[in-house]
Amino acid sequence: MKKFEQILTFFKQSRRLRRVVIFAPVILLAVYFLVPAGLNWLALSLIRNDQVEEADLIVALGGDLRCERERRAAELYNQGLGSKLVVNGLQYSWGVHTAEAAKRFVVRLGVPERDVLMTCDTYNTRTEAQELVKLMRRYGFKTAIIVTSSSHSRRALYTIERAAPDFKFYSSPVPARPPEWQPRNWWTRRGDVYVTIREFLSWINTLLNAWS
Amino acid sequence: MELKVKRKFLRTIIIVLALFIIGSLLLFFSLPRLLIAPTQVEKVDVILHNAIDARTTTDDYVAELYRLGYAGKIVCISPQASWETYPADYARKHLIYMGIPEQNIMVLHLPIPDCPAGSFRLIADYVYSQGWKRALLITYPQQSRYEGWLAGKIFEKQKIGLVVTYPPDDEDELTTNWWREHWKVQRMINAAIVIPLDRFYSECR
Repeated sequence: MKKFEQILTFFKQSRRLRRVVIFAPVILLAVYFLVPAGLNWLALSLIRNDQVEEADLIVALGGDLRCERERRAAELYNQGLGSKLVVNGLQYSWGVHTAEAAKRFVVRLGVPERDVLMTCDTYNTRTEAQELVKLMRRYGFKTAIIVTSSSHSRRALYTIERAAPDFKFYSSPVPARPPEWQPRNWWTRRGDVYVTIREFLSWINTLLNAWS
Repeated sequence: MELKVKRKFLRTIIIVLALFIIGSLLLFFSLPRLLIAPTQVEKVDVILHNAIDARTTTDDYVAELYRLGYAGKIVCISPQASWETYPADYARKHLIYMGIPEQNIMVLHLPIPDCPAGSFRLIADYVYSQGWKRALLITYPQQSRYEGWLAGKIFEKQKIGLVVTYPPDDEDELTTNWWREHWKVQRMINAAIVIPLDRFYSECR
């Protein structure tokens, strides 16, 4: 009892302790609610989704093992939003070229083979942008709809627009739903955490114009 | 007094920042040492060819190990790389083309993995179902230390002995001026991210 009274007296006398006791729960509560909101906002900031208009080209960027980018690009083509479709890829291993596999896939989805173009050996977004711009200049195309994963969409458009500021590009990413990456509460899913961290590191690399 | 406190605070911040930058640089340049385990090869029942990639020489290495008699069977393993395209199928064709008898080469298709542990559980189940007791896992150099530990732990539950290796040429290629090339840095960083990340998710441990 005496000890309790001593603590109470100390508490009454110490302004600093009183402040800590009052403000600590407020700060903890704010962190509890604001950190998830901030993390969600960060992930959502990776996405760029434009109002799509008819363009010369629809481009499915490479690197999607599930071919959801190619599926989305074929959907847009079948809606009449572009007259040509570009698929990207690289020599993956002996006998495997992912651009050729992607081409077979979009042809199966109803895109005529004559309307499918390929860019090859695109190992990262920057080389992909360079190859795309070369192709557009060669054929005289001026506008393109870029289809990629949601998490990659803002960086892809930033990189491509920087490579060809005189052309017009629209972003129409693959919807962010399972099994694709999802921005809401991404830290609760191991696969989405990996994608998000990798994307932010890639942004740093892109902005510093470091490795390409 | 106020100015003194401010200066002290600023100095502390500068020291912490400098230490952080030095630590990050040290960690970055130590990545090859931290991630790459020494390669080891033993006689086993099966070679698990799990590093199928255009930038590696694993097909040649696997064929060489087979010819040297390290194992009598080979399993080519991969998830899909694109629509209905499994590099494992092509690696098998490549090995047959290099003269390995086709009846000794099998293929295991995996789902697209969320983390390495899920794939290793499926591989371990497959090895167990075939009655093999010892396996040699061929992986990428940058994943060798972590995968050796993780896969070893998973295989041990099925009472399967595991040795992890990679082609020495791939290690030379990967570690030569690695900080200058995008694909090399990307591989090192990707391999490094996975390790701490897996610790937070029970399904990946």
